[in-house]
Amino acid sequence: MILQQAFNGLALGMAYALIAVGYSLVFGILRLVNFSHGSVYAFGAHMVILFVSYHFGLAPAIILGVVLTGLLGILIDKMALSPLRKKNSPGISSLITTIGISYIIQNLLMMAFGSEKKTFPELFPSKMITIAGAQVSSMQIVMFIASVILLLVLTLLVKFTKIGLAMRSVEQSEKIASLMGINTNFIIAFTFFLGGASAAIASILISGYYQIVYPTMGFVVGLKAFAAAVLGGIGLFHGSIVGGLVIGVAEAIAASLFGSAYRDSVAFIILILVLVIRPAGLFGKKGIEKV
Amino acid sequence: MKKIVSLFLVLVVSISLLSGCASTKESSQDGPLKIAVAFPMTGDNAEYGKSFLLAAQIKVDEWNENGGVLGREVELVSYDDKNSGDEAASIAQKIVSDPEIIGVLGHFASGVSMVAAPTYNENKYIEISNTASHPDYSSIGDYIFRNNSVISSEFGVIEDVLVNDLKLSKVGVVAIKTDWGTTAGDIAADIFGNNPSLTLVGREDVLEGSDDYSLAIAKLKEAGAEAVIGVGMYSLLAPLAKQYKAVDPEIQVIGLSNAYAQQLIELGGEAAEGIIFPVSFYADSTDPAVRKFVDTYTEEFGSEPSALAAQAYDSIGILLEAVKQNGSTDRESLRDTLNAISYPGITGETQFDEIGDASKEYTKLVVKDGKFIRFSDVSGK
Repeated sequence: MILQQAFNGLALGMAYALIAVGYSLVFGILRLVNFSHGSVYAFGAHMVILFVSYHFGLAPAIILGVVLTGLLGILIDKMALSPLRKKNSPGISSLITTIGISYIIQNLLMMAFGSEKKTFPELFPSKMITIAGAQVSSMQIVMFIASVILLLVLTLLVKFTKIGLAMRSVEQSEKIASLMGINTNFIIAFTFFLGGASAAIASILISGYYQIVYPTMGFVVGLKAFAAAVLGGIGLFHGSIVGGLVIGVAEAIAASLFGSAYRDSVAFIILILVLVIRPAGLFGKKGIEKV
Repeated sequence: MKKIVSLFLVLVVSISLLSGCASTKESSQDGPLKIAVAFPMTGDNAEYGKSFLLAAQIKVDEWNENGGVLGREVELVSYDDKNSGDEAASIAQKIVSDPEIIGVLGHFASGVSMVAAPTYNENKYIEISNTASHPDYSSIGDYIFRNNSVISSEFGVIEDVLVNDLKLSKVGVVAIKTDWGTTAGDIAADIFGNNPSLTLVGREDVLEGSDDYSLAIAKLKEAGAEAVIGVGMYSLLAPLAKQYKAVDPEIQVIGLSNAYAQQLIELGGEAAEGIIFPVSFYADSTDPAVRKFVDTYTEEFGSEPSALAAQAYDSIGILLEAVKQNGSTDRESLRDTLNAISYPGITGETQFDEIGDASKEYTKLVVKDGKFIRFSDVSGK
């Protein structure tokens, strides 16, 4: 029972971690909490079912879905956030704007697809595997592996490539980066593309597991993933993964000890505790502002 | 100067109050007779609102083809409450300020209906809800009616299914965490807990929209549940069945009448097979009145009507029949007529009791081979 719940919690946590990576990515580069991420996540899954319904086949639908969702990320930046940056608006305006965008996307999805819950195609026939008496679905294992790969790819990209170097320099100072000959507009657009694409990958894996898609699907998980990102230290990919797993397992423990009714508040109780004890998150270092 | 201004303001306020009174008393006798329809038309539950509006419109069209009621055309006025209490409160104010409106069909969630109901009751506007199943809803006032089953009677049917048809004893309850869900969950726990031949092995409350019920399922499975009752819409029941059957293929999943929607089968797929639930309306019935509604509805909407949509259709029918029998739109006598009426609708003979609840006859349905069929056809009873 405990082991079973631990596995359930890990699988749940993996879902949070996948989404949390997207929050961290945009925050890490732009110091912006992108609250439209949950809706972008829902957009990704809807694009896939749209293409599947037009008989594109599952694999092309997934690729198109990921690319289009990435482009949506760029569009959000160009339409709403970039003008704010140009006017040197305070960070809070960008944050509120992303909340607004989140609602716009959600409602557009409702207009286009209706608000009812739709089925998402099974990515592959899932089987139950028994490990030490606990049942795990093969899809859960795939989710786990996929998020580790996503984490590795993003870390390598940011740490060891030229474009990653440019991203890190934009993070430190957009102005100086542009003086050094970096095309900052391109770098920011690229970051949003990655954020959108990672949201789409997360939504495809998670929807493939639950096989359910609807416009507000990103709301609850989005909030918990945000909690996970902050918990691990926002801006750090490995922090997001650990944060997601901690929250998933904590929910599982809370559900089995106190009942499902307490499950959903646990994520936020942990978040508050961590922020009180370690304001920068589990792995976060105290920020040194270089002037 | 200040005095003059304040005097002027007092004058304005009192005139507007008086004019408000005047307009509520006088209603024109030749314009269309209006019925308000207040449901979520946007947001998470928009599909329900749209389907109820269509069902109501079909009934209104039938009446208008036969010359309307009391020689007046009938017209629906649609409001969008977004399934939110705040919106419903302001919509209720809007509705009661329109003297042409004789009654309201709505709102969707019990909690939302209960926010708006006192306003309707105070202003003597009849409210009929085709969806609210919260036990306290209809006792809010004399003008508040419910054309839906009270939740406890549905659990009575489920109790019968468990004890007599399936002979299962260990029952788990999974309820959604809303005002309605927790109340219904409590009632279920109470009914099953007090039945000597049933054992309630667990009661889990889940957040709708989290889509992961594995934690609750693992607990119920550990407790040895043989049947699980999903207190929620199809959106709870389909994933619950899917996730439960993945770990325990033997589990018997049971739902409530509001799970009766085509999406249950679409979302649940294989896992939806064998789900049993009680309904007051069955779209596959051979009754010509049912067929006529189902065909018109299906042509417009693209899928078969749910029991709740059929209740929306009947609710409008009852209200118009009451206006016809009453012979006028006088609110007080209309209320009495409505209370005394016995209406043969497609969801059975409907009659409101003294607090405004309609009693419902149930058919047990089961999902078999991707279709809803009568449970009695399967079990041979």
